[in-house]
Amino acid sequence: MTLRTTKRLWTAALAVGTLGALSACAGGAGAGDSTPTPEDGAASGSVTMWTYPVIADEAAHKAFWDEQIAAFQEENPDVDVNVEIYPWAGRDETLATAIAGNKGPDVVYLIPDQIPKYSKSLAAVDNYVTDQVGDLRENAAQAVTVDGAMLGSPLVMNTKPLVCNAAVFDAIGESGNYPETWDDLMALAPKLKDAGYDATNYWGSVDATLNESFYPLLWQAGGSVFSEDGSSVAFDSPEGVEALQFAVDLAEGGFIEKDLLTTIPAFEQTNTAKGKIACTWQQGPGDVAGFWGEENVVVLPPLTEAESVAFGTVGSLSLLKTSKSLDAAGKWAAFATSPEVTAEYAKSAGWFSPYESESGLYGDDPVQSALEDSLQYTTAGEVNEKSREVMGVLAPEIQAALIGEKTPEQALKDAAAAADPLLG
Amino acid sequence: MTATAPTSDGLTADRPPSARPPVPGKTRRIMERREARIGLLFALPAFALFLLFRFGPAIAGVALSFFDYTIGVGAEWTGVENFRRMVDDPVFWSALRVTVVMSVLIVPVSLAISTFMALMVRRSFRGSGFYRSVFFLPVVTSLVLAATVFTWVFSSNGPWSKLMGTLGFSTDSWLGSTVLVLPALAMVAIWSRFGYGMLILLARMQDLPRELEEAASIDGAGAWKRFWHIIAPQLKPTLFFLAVIETTASFQIFDLVYVMTAGGPARASYNLVFYIYDQGFKYFDLGYASALGVALFAVTLVVAVIQRYLIGRDK
Repeated sequence: MTLRTTKRLWTAALAVGTLGALSACAGGAGAGDSTPTPEDGAASGSVTMWTYPVIADEAAHKAFWDEQIAAFQEENPDVDVNVEIYPWAGRDETLATAIAGNKGPDVVYLIPDQIPKYSKSLAAVDNYVTDQVGDLRENAAQAVTVDGAMLGSPLVMNTKPLVCNAAVFDAIGESGNYPETWDDLMALAPKLKDAGYDATNYWGSVDATLNESFYPLLWQAGGSVFSEDGSSVAFDSPEGVEALQFAVDLAEGGFIEKDLLTTIPAFEQTNTAKGKIACTWQQGPGDVAGFWGEENVVVLPPLTEAESVAFGTVGSLSLLKTSKSLDAAGKWAAFATSPEVTAEYAKSAGWFSPYESESGLYGDDPVQSALEDSLQYTTAGEVNEKSREVMGVLAPEIQAALIGEKTPEQALKDAAAAADPLLG
Repeated sequence: MTATAPTSDGLTADRPPSARPPVPGKTRRIMERREARIGLLFALPAFALFLLFRFGPAIAGVALSFFDYTIGVGAEWTGVENFRRMVDDPVFWSALRVTVVMSVLIVPVSLAISTFMALMVRRSFRGSGFYRSVFFLPVVTSLVLAATVFTWVFSSNGPWSKLMGTLGFSTDSWLGSTVLVLPALAMVAIWSRFGYGMLILLARMQDLPRELEEAASIDGAGAWKRFWHIIAPQLKPTLFFLAVIETTASFQIFDLVYVMTAGGPARASYNLVFYIYDQGFKYFDLGYASALGVALFAVTLVVAVIQRYLIGRDK
C-alpha cells in the first residue's frame, strides 16, 4: 500500500467518522416525550436540577433547596434530587453545550427570553401543574407558554417599574415631584443637568438586553417588537420611532451618562451608583439601595406614554425531554413551583410569587409593596423563538441612533430589514 | 595504542578509542528505525492530545459547516447553504472588514515595537533583566483583567480621556466612537502582545555575530544603517514567524472585544470571531457558526501564504 493510498484512507475514515458522529447527534438529542403525563403513584429515579443564584447568599440558597428536597422525598422516597447552583455568567453556553453533549440536567431554571431558544429540548409541564395553574398571574403564565404549551412552571417574578432617588429631587428643590410620563421626565431633565445630575440611565451596550432598556419604552409608546402572529417585526412603527426618539433626545440633551451608551463599566463607577441620577427603569431597588440609601429609594408605577408598562422577568423550572427520569422530574418541578414553596423562595430572594394567592409577602414594607403593586403593569416580553436574533440586529442600530450615526427612522428601518428574514 | 577496525576492503584503519565502530548498512537502518520508534513513542502523548483537542474538533467544525444543527433536534445536511448564506450576509462582510482593519493596525505596530524593545534590552546594562521581565509582564497578564481596567482607562472619566483633554482633543470615550474604537482596542492588543515578540527577537539577536556590527560601526555606519543593513536582514525568518503568529492572534481577538465593547459601538468593533461566538452560543446556529469558522481559517491561511511570499522567502 503506497503512502498516498494510506493518506486517502485515513482522510476518508476521519470524514466518515465525523459524519457518523453528527448523524448520531441527529437522533439522540431530540429523543424524549414532549408532553409527558404523570404516572400513577410515587415517582422514582434520579433528578438533577440546575439553578442560579436567585438567592444571592449561596449557603442560604442551598439550605432552601435541601429543605424542599427533604419535604419532597417524604412523598417520593425513591427519588434522588440533586440541585446544582451555577453562576449567572455564561449559563447559556454551559447549558447549550451540556444539552448538545447529552449531559444536560433533568430540570433547569429558565427565564422567558431563554425558553423559546431551548423549546425543542423542553417537555411541556402542563399535565404536572394542572392543580396550580389556575392560580397563576396571567402575565406569568403567558411568559412560559409557547404555541399553547407551558414549557416552564413559574417559580418567581420580579418587576422593574420606575425607581427614583428622593435625595436628588430634594437637592433640586423638587421633593416629591416624581415623573409620571415621558414629558414629566424630559421637563425635569434640564434642571437636573444644571445641578450635575442625570435624568436617568440608559444601558445602550449591544450586550445589554433590550428588554430592560428600549423595549419598555416601545411598549409604553403602544408599540410591540413582533407582529401578532410573530412572523415579522413591528418595532419600525411610528410608536417605535417615537420610543427611540425619546431615548435619542435624552442622549443628545446630555441627560444620560454617555459611556453607558456603548460600554458596560463596573456598576460602582457609574453615575447610577454614585447617586447622580434621578430615576431609572433599568435598575431595581435592590440594585441601588446600598448606594442611595434605603430611605431615598422610591418605587413608582412605570412611566406612561400611551400605556404604563414595565419589564419583569419570570423565573421558571423547565423539563428537559431527554431526562431519563422524566416523570420524577415533572413531579419535582411541580412540587418546587407550588404556591407555598414559591412564596418562601420569592421572599428569600426579595422577589415575588407568580401566584395570585401568594400576594402580600412583604406586609407593610413600602418599597416591596409598591413593587408588588407594579406586577399588574409588568410584562416578561414577547415570546418568540427568534427574539434573541432580532435583539442582535436591533441593538447595534439603536446604538447607532443614540450616538448620532443614524436617525431613529433609519435605524429601525435598517434593523427591520435585517430582522424580517430571520423570522422566515 | 589505538584500536583498529576492518574497513570495507579488508584493510584496517587507525581510529581513536572513543569513536563508535562503523556499522554495516542494514544494522544502521535497523537502529535508526528503532530510534525513530522511540522518538515517536515519546511524541505520541502530545500528538494524541493534539489530535483529540485541536485537529479532531477542527475537522468536526468543517464537517458541521455543511449541516444545519439545532440543539434538541440534531443535524440536517444542507450542503453549501451556510456558505451561500455567508456570501449574502452583510454582517459577515462587515465583521471581516473589522477583523482585517484590526490586524492591519496591530501587526505592523506590534512588530515594530517588539523589534525596538528587543534592540533596547539586548545590551547588558544594570537592570536589563528587570526591564525584560517588566516588558514581558503584559503577556502573562489575564487579558480579561487587562480589558476591564482599560475599559476604565478609555472611559470619559478615565486617564486617557483626561490626557486627550489636556492635549486639546475631545474627552469623549474612544470606546464610544465608531472611528476610534479600533485604534483603542489595537493599543490594548499591542500592549498585551509586544513582550512576546520582543522575547523571540531578543533570542535571535543574541545569536547574531557582533563582528559585522562592529565592522560597520568602524566604517562609520550609524545605528539606523547598522540595523537596516545588518541586523534586520538576519531577523527576517524570525520576523516572518512573528508576523504569522501575530496575524493569526489578531484575527482571533475575542476577550478584548467581549469585555470592552461587545462589538460596538454600532458594530464598529464587531469582528469575525465575535460573530462566530454570537451565532454559536447566543443563537445556537452552530452550522452557520462553523461555516464562519471555516471562512476565518481560509482567510488566515491566505494571509499566511502572502506573508510567506513577501517576508519569508529567501532571496
